[in-house]
Amino acid sequence: MTNPPEFQVSSGGAIALQAPTAIARKSPSRLFWERLRQDKAALGGGVVIVILILIGIFGGPLAASITGHGQNAVLDNQTDAYGIPLGPNSTYWFGADAAGRDLFVRVMYGARTSLFVGFVATALSMFIGIVVGLVAGFFGGIIDTLLSRLADVLLAVPQILIAVGIVAACSTTKQGCLGGLIQPGLTVVIAVITLFSWSYIARIVRGYTLSLREKEFVESARAAGASNFRILWQEILPNLVGPLIVYSTLLIPTNILFEASLSYLGLGIPDSEASWGSILSEVGTSGLYDVAWWLMLFPGAFLILTTLAFNLLGDGLRDAFDVRSER
Amino acid sequence: MRKMLRYATTAGLIAVLVVFAAGCGSKKKSSSGSTGNSSSSSSSSSTGSYPGTFSSGSPAKGGTYTVGWEGSFGFTDNFDPTGEYLGNAWGLYSNLLIRSLIGYKHQPGAAGNDLVGDLATSVPTPTDGGLTYTYHLRHGVKFAPPVNREVTAQDVAYAMNRLASPNDGGEYPFYYTVIKGWDAVASGKAKTVSGISTPDKYTIVFHLTQPTGDFNRRMSMPATGPIPPEVGACFEGSKSANGAYGRDLISSGPYMIQGAAGKFTSCAALKPFSGYAGANGNHIILVRNPNYDQSTDPYRKNYINEFKFVVNSNADDIFAKVQAGQYDDEVSTPTPKTIRTYATNSSLKPRMIPNVGDRTNYLTMNLTQPPFDDIHVRKAMNYIIDKAALQKAWGGPIPGSIATHIVPPVLYNGGLAEYDPYATPNESGSVAKAAAEMKQSKYDPGHTGKCTAAACKHVLMIADTRSVDKTMVPIIQADAAKIGITFTVRSINGAYPTIQTPSKNIPIAERTSWGKDYADPYTFFAELFTSTAILKEGNTNYSLVGLKPSQVASLGVKGDTSNVPSADSQINACVTKLGQARINCWEGVDKYLMTSVVPWVPYLWPNNVFIIGPQVTHWNYDQFTDGPAYSSVSVKQ
Repeated sequence: MTNPPEFQVSSGGAIALQAPTAIARKSPSRLFWERLRQDKAALGGGVVIVILILIGIFGGPLAASITGHGQNAVLDNQTDAYGIPLGPNSTYWFGADAAGRDLFVRVMYGARTSLFVGFVATALSMFIGIVVGLVAGFFGGIIDTLLSRLADVLLAVPQILIAVGIVAACSTTKQGCLGGLIQPGLTVVIAVITLFSWSYIARIVRGYTLSLREKEFVESARAAGASNFRILWQEILPNLVGPLIVYSTLLIPTNILFEASLSYLGLGIPDSEASWGSILSEVGTSGLYDVAWWLMLFPGAFLILTTLAFNLLGDGLRDAFDVRSER
Repeated sequence: MRKMLRYATTAGLIAVLVVFAAGCGSKKKSSSGSTGNSSSSSSSSSTGSYPGTFSSGSPAKGGTYTVGWEGSFGFTDNFDPTGEYLGNAWGLYSNLLIRSLIGYKHQPGAAGNDLVGDLATSVPTPTDGGLTYTYHLRHGVKFAPPVNREVTAQDVAYAMNRLASPNDGGEYPFYYTVIKGWDAVASGKAKTVSGISTPDKYTIVFHLTQPTGDFNRRMSMPATGPIPPEVGACFEGSKSANGAYGRDLISSGPYMIQGAAGKFTSCAALKPFSGYAGANGNHIILVRNPNYDQSTDPYRKNYINEFKFVVNSNADDIFAKVQAGQYDDEVSTPTPKTIRTYATNSSLKPRMIPNVGDRTNYLTMNLTQPPFDDIHVRKAMNYIIDKAALQKAWGGPIPGSIATHIVPPVLYNGGLAEYDPYATPNESGSVAKAAAEMKQSKYDPGHTGKCTAAACKHVLMIADTRSVDKTMVPIIQADAAKIGITFTVRSINGAYPTIQTPSKNIPIAERTSWGKDYADPYTFFAELFTSTAILKEGNTNYSLVGLKPSQVASLGVKGDTSNVPSADSQINACVTKLGQARINCWEGVDKYLMTSVVPWVPYLWPNNVFIIGPQVTHWNYDQFTDGPAYSSVSVKQ
């Protein structure tokens, strides 16, 4: 048996009391990182996301450069005499689509579209959700009632049906909707996704804000004469960063799937801008799924990989932020 | 660890699903086991004509003939013949339910467009310098229950007056404005058309305001078929809304809607027949008309006891059921996948029957919208589009032949078959020819062969969302880009209402297609290229050929409307002609439009490809209705 170093026995038998060694102080971020790096699945997800982002930025042009095919270049010899696309080959690594375009190049460009929609729609949703949630939770009363009911209404409506209506209505003219504010194509898709996504964030932020506004540090800030804006900005919002990061990583894949759903229904992103959902849509509408498996496999695999990666990272972040979670 | 295990399991399941889904590709449908003693039709000739028949043994009476109908019935007036303009509905009317004065032999090819007397004893020759047509009705033709009486000339006159009335939903009364007094009824100033008289119950006379060479053909259309006034009166004016009569259609043909029975007593007692669930429903069932007398009808064979038309939203399922024998026929469009399956399987091949469709698919260009307000741009588009690639998008040569002008040659009795004013090698488009044309355009001031003006960038193109549209649009975009034109594509599920609204000022549309109403080119030119056909809504002259300055404001058209070419005089000059002179005249109009107006890029004369089931023993095409000759089909007993 050995004694702890503070209580080392001297050669004379006397116990010499040593000065206690300082416990190494760990910052919250260090604690977070130590917990996160133990989560191999989350780290793996993070690596995949980084790779996907690189693909989104460079993949399309690079693939076009390597293969010599633009994303909308049509080659007649990549469909058979009946117009059925040809499968993967040495020139068309992922095969061709029904129009004879290089599926590899389109899947690479599709990463850009899908990630762009996912990130931008999520950012807008987060911004609106945070503002609404903070205001509703902090001020309460009639403001809370109005904003919360608005969020409830949006949560209650059949999202796909409304989305289909809005996208269809905004896509029949070149000018789009709201005096040109919402343009057909990417912007209308992002607007629709944002419309239906912010309310989730708002409810979460409101809940946290209702709790935080009663805390002592908020009371003390108020006693010190801080303005409402300062309290929201400097006292409450920083305490929401952790949960919001987690929810945003979970919202991104949801929004990517939302875009894919709209594209699958033939709405939103024009065909000239490849997206994974629109490529999958082609399989569905053409009925080519049983003769052109590559049209489903490659965009589907990338979609699944992206969703899985974000979900793994989101789960890891949640666990890392939450000290009570089971490892 | 548990979490890792969960992720691994999830990823594994997803991978299995993806691989399983992909693996479905190698699975082939089983053969239908068709009989070996069949003769068929699926081989095409170099001229694009097809026999349009299938036969395996002697046809016999009896059985049920089930037809899978894709999506919805899509009726334009809920099956009310006065307002119904859906070609597939005409197939039911003409073969099974309505005996118009003039009819057809329900055969494929040119013989199927020959006129015969149906309710009338013969096809009359006009008198009075082409201004009077007298039809004599057959004796013994009876209405189905609950009317149960002989069809008379007054029933035909009633149907014509109903068609003339602005309140009863007629969709093609413009064909009959040549009848004296028609306009008075159309404008609400009269109740009956003065130019129609019925000297006795078996004679009806039409007096025209001008000689009309195709008037007999106009009297073959379903809206002109007899309607018993006692029942028709139940559906007049506001009561005719939404094609309510369609649910109680009184048949004068060999079949009737299931549930028609008893004796008509009053409108209140008349309930919708049980065999009709067409408006928002999923089936129509037709059974034999007990009052039908075969001896009055030399042209219908009527082998089948019962017809079932069943809506099915899944085209793949329809073709699978046809192949499995659960359906006998289909109202759908075989995809390239289905066509390949049948074309490459010797046992299935006889049961795929392509037929000349009397139809043209085309890109329509708006003559008022830049850059298509310049004829050189329109001509350049005709040169640059790879028609062979568009043909392939439809499934190759079986679904159609490449169109080189407006009206299919079959409607000219084979005339203009070689006419191709924008020929390119293999019909694959020519950059050189297109560039030569573009150099003459005001939108290519530098004469580079490419459109360099801003008007050529992001030009709005309306497309539909069908599979074939999604395949064609990239081809069109890639082709047009070769001459400097780029498109902003708006894909709309059901694009026609947008295209048909001139105030939308759509520069170019991809979805458009037109088929004959009857076998005369007039049914193309009148509705597609005359100034009188330009409407505020439901317009079919999409290119606005012949737009007059007086029409511009009311239609909401913006753009260059100062010098829109017209074809009115050329078309009007042909209307009164007869025989070969008439055909020659129409050919001249076609050439004029293709070279001096250039409103279209015609790219396909589609075939109607039908897939029939293993139980079918006889099938032939009906050239008039461009569908199955239901009155001639038979199934195994």
